[in-house]
Amino acid sequence: MIHADDGSLSQEQRLMRDSCRAFVDDAVTPFIRSNWQREWDMSPGERLPRSILEGAETIGVRTLGVPEAYGGVDLERETEVRTFALISEEIARGDSGLADKLVQNWKVSILLREFAPKHLQDKWFPRLLADPQFLLAHCLTEPRGASDRWLPYNVPEAAMHTKAVLKDGHWVINGRKQFISNGFDASLYVVYANTDSSVGMLQGTSSFLVPRDTPGLTVTKCNETMGCRFMNNGELVFEDCRVPADHLLVQNTALGSAGQYFRAGKIIQAAKNLGVGVACFERTADYVQNYVQGGRILIKHQAVALRLADMATRIEAVRALIERASRAVDEGHPDMDVLCNMAKVYASEEIMKVATHALELHGGNGAMLEFGIEKLFRDAAIFLHMDATVDVSRMKIIKTMFPATAGKYAGPEN
Amino acid sequence: MKILVAVKRVADPNVKVRLRADGSGLDLAAVKMTMNPFDEIAVEEAVRLKEAGIASEVVVVSVGPDKATETLRTALAMGADRGLLVRTEATTEPLAVAKVLSAVAGEEQPALILLGKQAIDDDCNQTGQMLAAKLGWPQATFASQLAVDGDRVTVIREVDGGSQTIALTLPAIVTADLRLNEPRYASLPNIMKAKKKPLEERQASDYGLVIEERLEVVRLEEPPTRAAGIKVKSVAELVERLKTEAGVLA
Ligand SMILES: Cc1cc2nc3c(=O)[nH]c(=O)nc-3n(C[C@H](O)[C@H](O)[C@H](O)COP(=O)(O)OP(=O)(O)OC[C@H]3O[C@@H](n4cnc5c(N)ncnc54)[C@H](O)[C@@H]3O)c2cc1C
Ligand SMILES: Cc1cc2nc3c(=O)[nH]c(=O)nc-3n(C[C@H](O)[C@H](O)[C@H](O)COP(=O)(O)OP(=O)(O)OC[C@H]3O[C@@H](n4cnc5c(N)ncnc54)[C@H](O)[C@@H]3O)c2cc1C
Repeated sequence: MIHADDGSLSQEQRLMRDSCRAFVDDAVTPFIRSNWQREWDMSPGERLPRSILEGAETIGVRTLGVPEAYGGVDLERETEVRTFALISEEIARGDSGLADKLVQNWKVSILLREFAPKHLQDKWFPRLLADPQFLLAHCLTEPRGASDRWLPYNVPEAAMHTKAVLKDGHWVINGRKQFISNGFDASLYVVYANTDSSVGMLQGTSSFLVPRDTPGLTVTKCNETMGCRFMNNGELVFEDCRVPADHLLVQNTALGSAGQYFRAGKIIQAAKNLGVGVACFERTADYVQNYVQGGRILIKHQAVALRLADMATRIEAVRALIERASRAVDEGHPDMDVLCNMAKVYASEEIMKVATHALELHGGNGAMLEFGIEKLFRDAAIFLHMDATVDVSRMKIIKTMFPATAGKYAGPEN
Repeated sequence: MKILVAVKRVADPNVKVRLRADGSGLDLAAVKMTMNPFDEIAVEEAVRLKEAGIASEVVVVSVGPDKATETLRTALAMGADRGLLVRTEATTEPLAVAKVLSAVAGEEQPALILLGKQAIDDDCNQTGQMLAAKLGWPQATFASQLAVDGDRVTVIREVDGGSQTIALTLPAIVTADLRLNEPRYASLPNIMKAKKKPLEERQASDYGLVIEERLEVVRLEEPPTRAAGIKVKSVAELVERLKTEAGVLA
């Protein structure tokens, strides 16, 4: 319904968006609509059915970020993040959980293409391409908190509890990871672990490639989440989990190097939530033009019209900021980190307001599972905490803008 | 065997179009445009023939505005090999398009020309037929199945009350109906690859032609809005009204 076509998109970007939109309208939305109620009864294996990921395959949307040499999509690098944002929005307009499943693959593929040794790319990219059910996951968060990863307190106390030690040509990993998107069903994991406890986490954290079937890696559970339920968020335990020495991606400075992942990731995630907002708007605009109260369709009540205007305005404002931030990342602009965090936090809070309007304008129907509006509300709500909390994102903005004052760490808790 | 497929850029059938305030035409300024759905089916069929090793090259051609290059790119992303835009800002009436296509066919010498059975904007259902007349080739309209064997093409046509099977000798013209196939999506990798495929732009004058608008649109009107329904008090009243007002019961 709201379609940004200001001429700044390339022909290819418009065509890609159209293909994604057609796929969502043909395959994703009908599935979601006929399963509102079942979302809570399905086992992780049924979320989503194979056919949806196979459908995603027909438009080639699972393997963005994979180099063309391996059969991935050769996006224009100068506008890559903007393209990611467009596609993420379109997929999430159908289902935010499906978008999460897919975008995790893009984000981790970017890391692999930048940091994995060639022979491991030769091994894993073809497998990723060959199997529509092949998913990737990125494991940072541990039971003892994730905010420290986003706002690194560069002191040993904040270091990761998961540790990796090099022994006889293998890295031996011990620890736990939680809240991991695709954690339950991924085939390949990027795992962060402490490799030097004498320094801060920015100097002592390394990243590793860990295949699912590695002995010592156990997927312990699938988290039952409030939203994005069609993505299986999981928990992992590493007990003397041994990977060959060459599975080290970045030694000691992994958190700094992951900027590649984080920046694109924030934009992709913000755009995903924008898609949820667009779905809220489309559904609501349709509802208020058909449902009658007080003898006239709802939209003719001015109070209803004003809310709808507010929804549309917030959506466009979020879209504008995402566009600006994604251009900054594509251009390597010095403000890109600040803008990415702004886009993420703004998309989370504004779309939450959009979803709240949708719930209000649907009256009692909005609260019922069979209408699917409460699902959009939950999908918007869970986003507040993904990829950093609202408050941590804001602090990150200020710490980046004022590194000499706000950026200085006051010292550890005694 | 070379196949030529004609594609038209039209308003997306999923969007609601509005009339210009003065009733002179449709307000398409902010409307999403797309490839005519029947042309998508024609492109799909051509690409399948190529994948089956029957066709050697699929050329897509559009007569239309600059932006129709986007429609051609979509066809290239679906698997066509090269595109040709014959540029015009005029309203493309079937006869003018048939003349251009016949000139293009003269240059390209395709064995088969595929078109949609009609464009969903003007619903003319004439271009394929006029083109067949201009070229003097056999035609099969409303195709729901198509098989090529040597220089023969067998087509099952959708006709009122059933289907008709006819055989044509190539070169021939076939127009696609809805059930011919289910067109694929232009996938993201193929959209990027299509960027590198050749797309030529020409003018009608390159073929010694002028694209004329021969029809005058007098006026366009919205369909009448449906009157509100009513509630009846009894079954007897319902039956009575179905007889007297709706005329569905005798
Ligand atoms: C659906 C979902 C998917 C996720 N996917 C992944 C994934 O794929 N990979 C991954 O590694 N992680 C993932 N996460 C984890 C996510 O990044 C964290 O949940 C998030 O960063 C918050 O961290 P936390 O849960 O440890 O909360 P905490 O850090 O414990 O935060 C609790 C509260 O304390 C506040 N707080 C914390 N530190 C500070 C501070 N220094 N100053 C001020 N306030 C502070 C926070 O703002 C928040 O209000 C996912 C989470 C969710 C919900
Ligand atoms: C959990 C739950 C329990 C309930 N329990 C009961 C119960 O026990 N008994 C019972 O009888 N009902 C019950 N209800 C129904 C509840 O009272 C109604 O859902 C509520 O009053 C809203 O009415 P509605 O659903 O018809 O929404 P609508 O009236 O259709 O409202 C839709 C939107 O239009 C707006 N709107 C409507 N009219 C106007 C107007 N004139 N001007 C401006 N804006 C307008 C509303 O503010 C809202 O934003 C329950 C509902 C829920 C969700």
